[in-house]
Amino acid sequence: MTSTLAARSPVPLPDDITVLPGPALLAGLTRGPSLAAHRHQFGALPWIGLDVLQDLVGRVGVRGRGGAAFPFATKLETVARRRRPVVVVNFAEGEPASAKDMALALTRPHLVLDGAVAAARALGAREIHVVLPGERVRVQAAMHLASEERDDRMRIRVHTTTHGFVSGQSRAVIELMSGRPNLPVTAWEPEALSGFAGRPTLLSNAETWAQVGLLALGGASSYRRLGTQVEPGSTLVTLTRTGSATTPEVHEVAFGTPWSEVIRPLAPRTEVLVGGFHGSWTRWETLSSMRVSPTEMLAAGIPLGAGVVHVADAATCPLAFTADVAAYLAGESAGRCGPCVNGLPAIARELRAVVGGHGDPARLSRLTGLVTGRGACAHPDGTSRLVRTALTTLADEVEAHLHGRCGRALDADGRAS
Amino acid sequence: MTDGPLLWYLNRSTGVVLLVLLTVSVALGVLSIGGRPGRGLPRFVSQALHRNVALLSVLMLLAHVVTAVVDEYVDIRWWQAVVPVGASYEPLWLGLGTLSLDLVAAVTVTSLLRTRLSLRAWRSVHLLSWAAWVVAVVHSVGIGTDLSSLDGLAVVPAAACVVVVALSLVVRLARPAPPVAGQTWGRSA
Amino acid sequence: MTSTIRVDWPACRARGLCHELLPEVIDLDEWGYPVVTGTVTAELLSDARAAVRACPQLALRLVG
Repeated sequence: MTSTLAARSPVPLPDDITVLPGPALLAGLTRGPSLAAHRHQFGALPWIGLDVLQDLVGRVGVRGRGGAAFPFATKLETVARRRRPVVVVNFAEGEPASAKDMALALTRPHLVLDGAVAAARALGAREIHVVLPGERVRVQAAMHLASEERDDRMRIRVHTTTHGFVSGQSRAVIELMSGRPNLPVTAWEPEALSGFAGRPTLLSNAETWAQVGLLALGGASSYRRLGTQVEPGSTLVTLTRTGSATTPEVHEVAFGTPWSEVIRPLAPRTEVLVGGFHGSWTRWETLSSMRVSPTEMLAAGIPLGAGVVHVADAATCPLAFTADVAAYLAGESAGRCGPCVNGLPAIARELRAVVGGHGDPARLSRLTGLVTGRGACAHPDGTSRLVRTALTTLADEVEAHLHGRCGRALDADGRAS
Repeated sequence: MTDGPLLWYLNRSTGVVLLVLLTVSVALGVLSIGGRPGRGLPRFVSQALHRNVALLSVLMLLAHVVTAVVDEYVDIRWWQAVVPVGASYEPLWLGLGTLSLDLVAAVTVTSLLRTRLSLRAWRSVHLLSWAAWVVAVVHSVGIGTDLSSLDGLAVVPAAACVVVVALSLVVRLARPAPPVAGQTWGRSA
Repeated sequence: MTSTIRVDWPACRARGLCHELLPEVIDLDEWGYPVVTGTVTAELLSDARAAVRACPQLALRLVG
């Protein structure tokens, strides 16, 4: 079977990103990423006891920024009750369209490390693990430098992923740390209960640790000055566009900010992919009426995920783009689970056929249902969400393609140009 | 009752039947690995057959050992059924038989406890069934007084067993490999 | 008291014994991999245990 579908990411990994100044995480960027500048801005990292830390993260309700928005306080509590905890900072950012963790590595490495060090001290762990993306060399360089600058006596163990979309998945990370292939495995328990070497593992996204760092350095009341009553604080989003050569922009946005204040106005029917390659398609007319709020967006069926917002420019066919993404995602399967290994290529092929005018949307829909929940990780589920939301939100485009028409620029192979 | 040839014949006959059962079990094991479901016998049937024939052969093995030890015509002690060295009667060939028993015991115990072991641990012990079977064949040729003279018909049972297993291997290897996760789709870059 | 069948997906090799022994709860997809269609009720419990034991890859677990 020829695998012409094993494809590169339609959104390339960024060499260069634009990081905009922000109200908290990204405040004072001009001073640079050094430890000295960081201490000048935030002061020394106080030694925080476990109960104080739990109180801090519980009161503001810190949620994970890796995509699942899991309550950090719950993870912390689970790990805290057990012996020999492991603290892991996940910079892996396998999603090519995402650049927020990269932004933190380049501009705010010590905020991230302070958060992890504070938690490690509170838990009595004597080292922290930092997991870096194998394909983002600038991030590796920045974090190696930052680790060497540290002057606390917390040992930092660095691991580097083998490149790939799923390399940052939590179990894949733990496998990497254990010296095994950097791919997901089945977990019968959450890693906070039994993770690295069977030990309770507090593994969180780099931005989550930055949020914890902000809390540790500045306290809860200053944290609560941003955001809303129920969702205090801010979050990082990556804004990108298809089809053009613009560099990704990383913005820090306070929770509750209307999207219309984050993104310059677009035509109402402009298609927007929210949540990255495992995200949901929507249109600007829907998004512009919403606010940057994980709860609100989850309720509306367009989960914020890891904060990647990808705008389809007018010349790019969003359906063909989705087919390109699906082909890429199929190639990024770890190759370990039958429904994923078989199902994702089948989905990619069927979607490509739909774009070409001879596919079967009903079969495509059935396939997406078939792969969901049947793998060791959420790769099939995310791919399924992308395609399902394409079928619903982009129903007009699907209809047009099935009648041999498309309003946008396509090359001869039906690929987005 | 412990004099005379009754126990001797029982021992020899259980030995032959045991060899046949072990051979059938090995052949069933070979044939039931791999492949896609739905061809011929249901998979759980061939699995159950393999298991039941194997368990039956364990019973036959017990009978074979008991008849050997209890028989006063040859001096075989109880401990020589599990320790492969130090026997006075045909030490080499008996020792091989004992070795085969030890291997069968390991395979049996791990298989009974299969769900409590990791797949890898169970599988590496289970592969010792091959050694158990080969050693059993050699034991039967070496210790069975009929067979040592290599009279035409006398080697037929052992030879037939070898042929059956060889055939099962040929059949198994001739099957097209089923598509398995990881073989149909690699990772990009 | 119902239990659930959980699959260790990287271990599963689509051998299909689980479906043979517990078709009420386990279907097979077009590639031969198990689709869990329901929960294991009390009367299906012994068949479910047999399916778990029969899996050549030990890829099934009975939870709950």
